[in-house]
This record gives sequence, structure tokens and C-alpha cells, in this order.
Amino acid sequence: MLEFMDYVQHAFYDTSHWNFENSYSQLTATARALLDFETPAGLRLNLSSLSSPNFATSYAIGSVGLVDGSLSYLYTSLPLHTTSRSSDIDLHNVIRGYRQIQELRKPEESWMWEQWQGGRRVDKRDTLLYGRLYLPQSTLEALYLRRMSPTQQVKLSAVSDSRLRNGGTILALHQYDVGKYSAETLYSTDGGLIGLRGLYNFGPDPRKDVTEAPRTEDKFYGRFSAGAEIYYGSLNKSGGVSFGGRFATLPAHKGVPLTATLTLNPLMGNLSTTYAVTAGKNLALCSKFDFNVYSYESDVMLGCELWRIKARVPKKKERSMAAKLEWRLDPEEKSDVPEPEIVAGVLKARIDQNWKIGLLWEGRVKELLFTLGSSVDMKRRDQPFRAIGLELQYSS
Amino acid sequence: MAFNFNWSPLTADADFYKRAQEMLTTALNKSPKPPIIVDDILVNELNLGSVPPELEILEIGDLAEDRFRGIFKMCYSGDAFLTLKTRVQANPLNTYLFSKPSFTSPQPLAAQSGLTIPLQITLSEIKLSAFIILVFSRQKGLTLVFRNDPLESLKVSSTFDSIPFVRDYLQREIEKQLRTLMMDELPAIIHRLSLRLWCPDYAAKEDQEMEIKKPEDDQVAVDPFGSPPQDAVDARGNVLDASEISSMSLDGGSEIHSLFSQKNLLRLAALTDSHRTLSLFTPSIRDAVFRAWAGPSERSDSAGSSTPATPGLIRSHSSVGSTSTTYTFSRSDDGHGHIPSRPSLVNMHSATTGLGLGAGRHSRSHMRKKKTRVVNLRKNKTTDDLVSESGDSETSSMAPASEPAFPTPVVEEPEDNIITPPHSPSQRVRFRTSSIDLGESPRKLRLSTADRPSINLSSSTLPEQVIDPVPAEEKSVPIREQRPAYSNFASYPQEKHSAPLSYGPAPVLSDTSSAAGSIIEQAWVMKMASEIARRAQDEKSNNQSFWSREEREDSPPPAYAPKAT
Repeated sequence: MLEFMDYVQHAFYDTSHWNFENSYSQLTATARALLDFETPAGLRLNLSSLSSPNFATSYAIGSVGLVDGSLSYLYTSLPLHTTSRSSDIDLHNVIRGYRQIQELRKPEESWMWEQWQGGRRVDKRDTLLYGRLYLPQSTLEALYLRRMSPTQQVKLSAVSDSRLRNGGTILALHQYDVGKYSAETLYSTDGGLIGLRGLYNFGPDPRKDVTEAPRTEDKFYGRFSAGAEIYYGSLNKSGGVSFGGRFATLPAHKGVPLTATLTLNPLMGNLSTTYAVTAGKNLALCSKFDFNVYSYESDVMLGCELWRIKARVPKKKERSMAAKLEWRLDPEEKSDVPEPEIVAGVLKARIDQNWKIGLLWEGRVKELLFTLGSSVDMKRRDQPFRAIGLELQYSS
Repeated sequence: MAFNFNWSPLTADADFYKRAQEMLTTALNKSPKPPIIVDDILVNELNLGSVPPELEILEIGDLAEDRFRGIFKMCYSGDAFLTLKTRVQANPLNTYLFSKPSFTSPQPLAAQSGLTIPLQITLSEIKLSAFIILVFSRQKGLTLVFRNDPLESLKVSSTFDSIPFVRDYLQREIEKQLRTLMMDELPAIIHRLSLRLWCPDYAAKEDQEMEIKKPEDDQVAVDPFGSPPQDAVDARGNVLDASEISSMSLDGGSEIHSLFSQKNLLRLAALTDSHRTLSLFTPSIRDAVFRAWAGPSERSDSAGSSTPATPGLIRSHSSVGSTSTTYTFSRSDDGHGHIPSRPSLVNMHSATTGLGLGAGRHSRSHMRKKKTRVVNLRKNKTTDDLVSESGDSETSSMAPASEPAFPTPVVEEPEDNIITPPHSPSQRVRFRTSSIDLGESPRKLRLSTADRPSINLSSSTLPEQVIDPVPAEEKSVPIREQRPAYSNFASYPQEKHSAPLSYGPAPVLSDTSSAAGSIIEQAWVMKMASEIARRAQDEKSNNQSFWSREEREDSPPPAYAPKAT
């Protein structure tokens, strides 16, 4: 489940029309959500509030070993009008599951942001500032996010911790996204790591006007994306490269939604394929297969996600007194808008070849969002439960 | 003063390397490993090389044959090497991300995917320079502590030498790991190894080997109970200085007991029980005589069987003798309360019950060994007289405990005399009676046996018992001590009959007996026999005055007379 501050950050992306998913680093978001979810350990409480559209606070206290906690504050220059009450938040927004990619949007033109007043531009760039202090470790996290232009964004994240070398690290990330393709450059002060990432979407260019209607009658109506990343540590002379491709069906697809990815690391000889499919309205399945051509090591992982929808109790229809008096039935009430589903909870489970099982049950109890998770190692018969945890969130 | 460090014998022992490798492997895998190492670290090859470290003595706190405490300055730049096998993460990006906070992680998609590679690392050109605190005690083994970080430099060569990043990383990580190993784990490893080498109690498996070695090497004859107060290290492993040790040896009591191994105490307890209930099962106690041999000092400490009047007593102080003494004593008091209060003594007793005579002699010969050791190490006295004197002073300083001091020598003395070949038959009788006392608790029985010595047990069992007890002893007692027993038997054929006769537990012990006797042993027997004869002569001459003065030589002591006859 997304933490509140991440939820607010995503709200910032949405409000500022930034396509968070159109990035090479999000190529395997579906598989990660279904297979690599984190199971909580210990008890953790989050108290959060979006006290004003521009300001959010969050307090967390946890008991992993000893009591620890964190304070976090967030400021955004862009007013966010998103639901922040934990009783109202749509669970689909905070629970990461099967990621249905959307049709590419046409990026806004830069002139659309211009605001003129008295012959002078008065528009400002949207900015997000976020800070988090962990106690008692005295670790400080800071984030600076700025929308440079409708197609560009800069993200500076920093961690200050006395235990880290040089007392902390800073990561600078510049993202450029025009829809058809996106590129990212990054620099990390730790080891002088320089990185380049790029993603190219095959298919129609969203910047051009759509001339033909989508061919939804195809067997698979989706989008193929390919990308690559390269890293080089300038200080320690190390590096890494990977290539990846993804095919995912778009919402207009009439069949079963599916996502398939293939990533390749030519340096290390690693090959990874994932395949995710929504087998039903509330069920998503995912599998991942890793293989290393150099060491012949392989890895298999299976996962599933099951949304449990509360059974809607049909309203008991009683004939109104007027209808009774008139000896007729009530007129049929037809509402075009279906009633919103009430999600009782989401069950996520994964298992790998080593019989390590991860279980996660997320949902809402009254005003609280909860995450109950456990990791089980079936190979250790004596104590199979490696960790068990409960996370509670309340926000207003 | 000179020290002789044997560096090459370590390498000669094939088992040593095997054990050291096992211990190193467990030690290396104990601490959390760096992220680049994804598998257990296995010690593949270990060689200490031929160049010994240079040691400079800075300070010696305590020095004796069986204990040592000192501070050294050590410099080592030898040709030792160590080969490790493990699997490492070959992707530098993977290890790079491992230790970084996720908040500033670049979050690569697949560039960090791992590739594990088997790796062989050779550590060589190890240069050490450190101040070492070395504490050695036979009972507690060797304790070695580094006062500072000993690792000066080290060459790490691996399959990744061509990649500078990996090489540097390995070098750094291994140095770090090795430092913790040196400071924390190595002392523990050395301690365990030394315990195996010197402490028979620790390595029960190697006891047989040790028994073979013992005849040749007196120094190896080690017993955890041998001389508890002389420990340089107490039960918690803390180093005791000389004053503490001496105070400990003086007050005796609990601290000494805490030095006993629990295993042996349990066995002794079992023995006590079997003794009290006249159970036929008597657990064999290894090195039982050793334990008893430690007895004298201990006994004089705790029980205070003070023998100021008889210097020869302490000399002859065979553990069995002394224990049997106390036992008889309690008998004569007719109080069984003593038995539980001093289980160790009684136990000792029953351990050797199988053959009172043999046991007595073993312990005697044993005793002599101890004496010489004591003389050499502590008092710098070489003659028996001096020894006895020193013993005297020791015992006189003790406060007499639960038992009256006088009767003890009474029993002790006959034993002494019996052992010496030229003694008269009457003394033999006395000894026999004492052993009778030990073996059986009801006095009536004893009397009856005294009346009809040959009828006591079935006569058919007699010969067996006569023969068997000695091997039984052999099993439980280091060979060296058994030899005198043989010789003594030969010289006292009559006793053989009487001693087994009176004993209940004897058959049991004989059951556990094993055949023994090689040529070496025979030679040893001869040697020991002659030596014993010589010593006995000396003792006799020394004792003569005392015994004659007290008129115990010819007439049995009053406490004895009723039992014997």
C-alpha cells in the first residue's frame, strides 16, 4: 500500500499532468506490484493529514525491534484537491496491483502554462518539497520536485545519514517525456554514478492528430514499448546496462488484459521475462522467470492478486404508499452510474522456487487502512513464519 | 630464561589443519557478510608456513610449568597463506545498490540483476604486528588476546584481480573481515584448539590417543582436577593473578568446586549413589586417580586431614589412600553423614574399590609424580623430605575441618607401608582392612569377612578378580600408574586374595576391564617397579622414625583392630 506521502506525490503528478508511468524504470511496474511487494514487519502506525491543499504532514511510529518513527512534511505549490480521508480514498489508488497502461496523452504545449498579467509572465513552475526525519536514527530524507515545463521534470532527492559515506547522498534526476518517448538522465553523488534511461513507444505518435480510429478489432490491441538504460560509476569504474521491452494491452482491448515484458542484461547474461494477466474482474496472475546464461541460474516466481468486493446487498424494494393506493408497481429506477464497488480487501500472494511465500492482505476497516502481511519460508519447518506485520494508516 | 616455541610441530599434525579449517569456516560465516559475498565462505586451504612469528617478551606476570601469563610483542611476516572459496556477486551495480538508501537509489530496471561467480581468494603476505596477552594454564588451555589491531598488511589475490573495482573492494572487505576475525574469533579458536590439545576432559574422543602418549610424556598427563587452585583462570575465564590464586587455594570451598567439570561431577555423583545403595553398577571414571591425586592439596584444604605429625603422610598422599582414610574414619565414627558431605572422596574411593591394593599403589606412584612436579615448580625443592615439609606447611596452614586430625594418619600409614616391598605382613593386613572398610558399609559384614577371609565371596570368583582388577584400573587410569600395580601384585601374592574377597563392587569393575600389556608397557612396568622400590625404601627410612615413635608399625591401630580381626 502506498504511503500517504507517496499518494500525495502521485496526486501531484496527476494534477500537473505528468505521466509517471511513461518511463523505462516503470516498465515492469505490474510484475513488481504483483511479485515484489513488501511484506510489513512488526506494527506500524501512520497518522497523516492533508491539512491544506498545499501542505501535508505525516507521522509514523513503528516497532521493529525498538520503537522508531518518522516525521514528514510536504509542501506543494500546486494546490492538490484529492481525497485525503482514509475512509474515502479509493483503494485502487493506494494499492498497487495490475497496472493498466493508458493511452498516451498529448503533452501540453509550453505556451499553455504561460500566464500573463500586465504584460509580464506571472506563472510559476509547480514545485513539491518534501522532508522526512527518521528517529532515532537521525536520518533525513529530502525531496525537491519541479516541473520545468510540460515535458520536463527535475527531481532531487537527498539522504543525510551519518552512517553513510560522506554523510549522505544526493540523486539528481531529469526526466523528459513527450509521450512517444521519454528520456531520463541521472547523477548520483555516491560513486559518481551517471545514468541514462530511455523508453520508446511504438505505435501512433500522440503529438500528431489522430487520423484513424484505434483498431480495437485486432486480436491484441495494445502497445509495444522498448527501452534501455546504461549506468556508469565514474568513481569506481563500474557500470551496468539493460534492455527491455514490453507489450501491454490498452483499455480498449476487448480480450483479457495482459502485460508481458522481457528484460535483458547483456553484461551479466541475465534474462528476465514476466507475464501478467487479469484472469477475471478481480483476479490478476503474474509469473516471472529469470535465467542467467553465464551461470545457468534460474528463478521462478508466481504471484496473484485477488480483489474481494463486498457483496452488495440488494435493496429491499417496498412499494411506496402512493403506488399501493393506485394499485400499481413503482416505476423502475434506472441509474446510469453504477454504484461504486466497495472493496473489502485485496489479497496478494507470491511464491518462488525456494518455497518462500509472501502474503499480504490490504483493506479498510472503518476509517483505517490496514496492511497485514507475512513472509513464510516453507523450507524452514521449525519456524516457517519469518516475519509478520501490521500497518495501519489514518489520514484526514 | 628461554622459551622454546615449536612452530613446525603444528604443521606436522594432520588433524590440526583440519580442525583449524573447520573452526575458521564457522568463524568466518558467523558475522554478517558483505553484500558481494552471496554464499558461505569455505576455508579451502590453510598453511601456517615455515617462518615463525617473532616474539618479544615484554612482561611475564606468572610463570610455572603448567601456567603462564605474559605480554608479547609479535611481528609476523611469514609465508603463511589461506585460501578461501565462496561465491560472489559479480555485478558491481548490485552491490552498489545494496548498501544505499532506497530513497536516493537510481532504481535501475534490470541493470542490477545479479550474476554469482564462484571465487577463490588467496590471502598471503600477511604482515602482523601486535601486542599479545597470552595466558596459559593446563586446565583452561591457552588464551590469547590481541591488545591492538594486529593486521598490518595483507595481499589478497583472487580471480578478479584484473578488475580494479572488484579487487579493491575485495581487499577492503577482506581486511575488514579479517580484523574482526583476529580480534574476536581467533582467541576463541585458539582457546578451543588448546583445550583439545591439553584438556582430556574437553576432547573425550582423543583420550585413547592420550593414554598411549602418556607413558612417554609425563607432561601431557593433565587432569582438569589435577591442581585446581593453581589455575591461572577461574571458572568464568577471568585471569587470576598469583595472589588471587593463592587465596583461592587457601579458602578452598566453592571456587575450587566451580573448577570441576560438570561431567565428572555427575559421574562422581552416580558413583556415590551406587556406593550408597550397594548397586553393582559403578560407572568407570576416567582419570579417577588423577582426580584423587589432586586430592591431597584439596583435602588438606577442605577436610584438613592435617598431618603435622607425619610428614611422610603427605608424601605418600595417594589419593586413594587418603580417601580411604577418611572413609574408614567415618566408618569408625559409624556416621554415614560424612558420605554425602564429601562425595568426591567417597567416589574416588569407590572408583578404585575394585582393587584396593592396586589402586593404592597406583595412586602412590602417581603421587610421586606429582610430588616432583610440585617440588620443581613451586618450592624449588627436590628431595622427598623437603617435599613432605612443604606439604606439611601447606596442611598445617589449613584449619582442621570436620574430622579429627589424628585418626587419619593411622589409616594412611599402613597403606604407605604396604606399598613398599620390604614391609611386614601385618601392614598388609592393615591395608586390607582399610580397603575392606571402603568396600562395605555394614560393620558386621566386615567383621565376618575378617573372621573368615577366604569364605567371603565364592571362591570361584577369586582368581578372576585377582587378575581382573588390574586391567580394570588400566582402563580408567593412565598406563603409567598401572605398572606399579603389577609389580606390587607380584610381590604380594597373598593380598590378592584378601582384597578382592572383601569387595562387593570388584566384579563389576573387572567386567569393564580390558586386556592390556605391550612390550613398552612391560618395560615401563619394570622401570616403575624399580623406581617404586627405591622410593619406598626412602620413604620407609623417612617414615620409620615417625611410625616407630607412634608404635603403629607392628600393632594395628585401635580403630583398625576390630575390623581387621
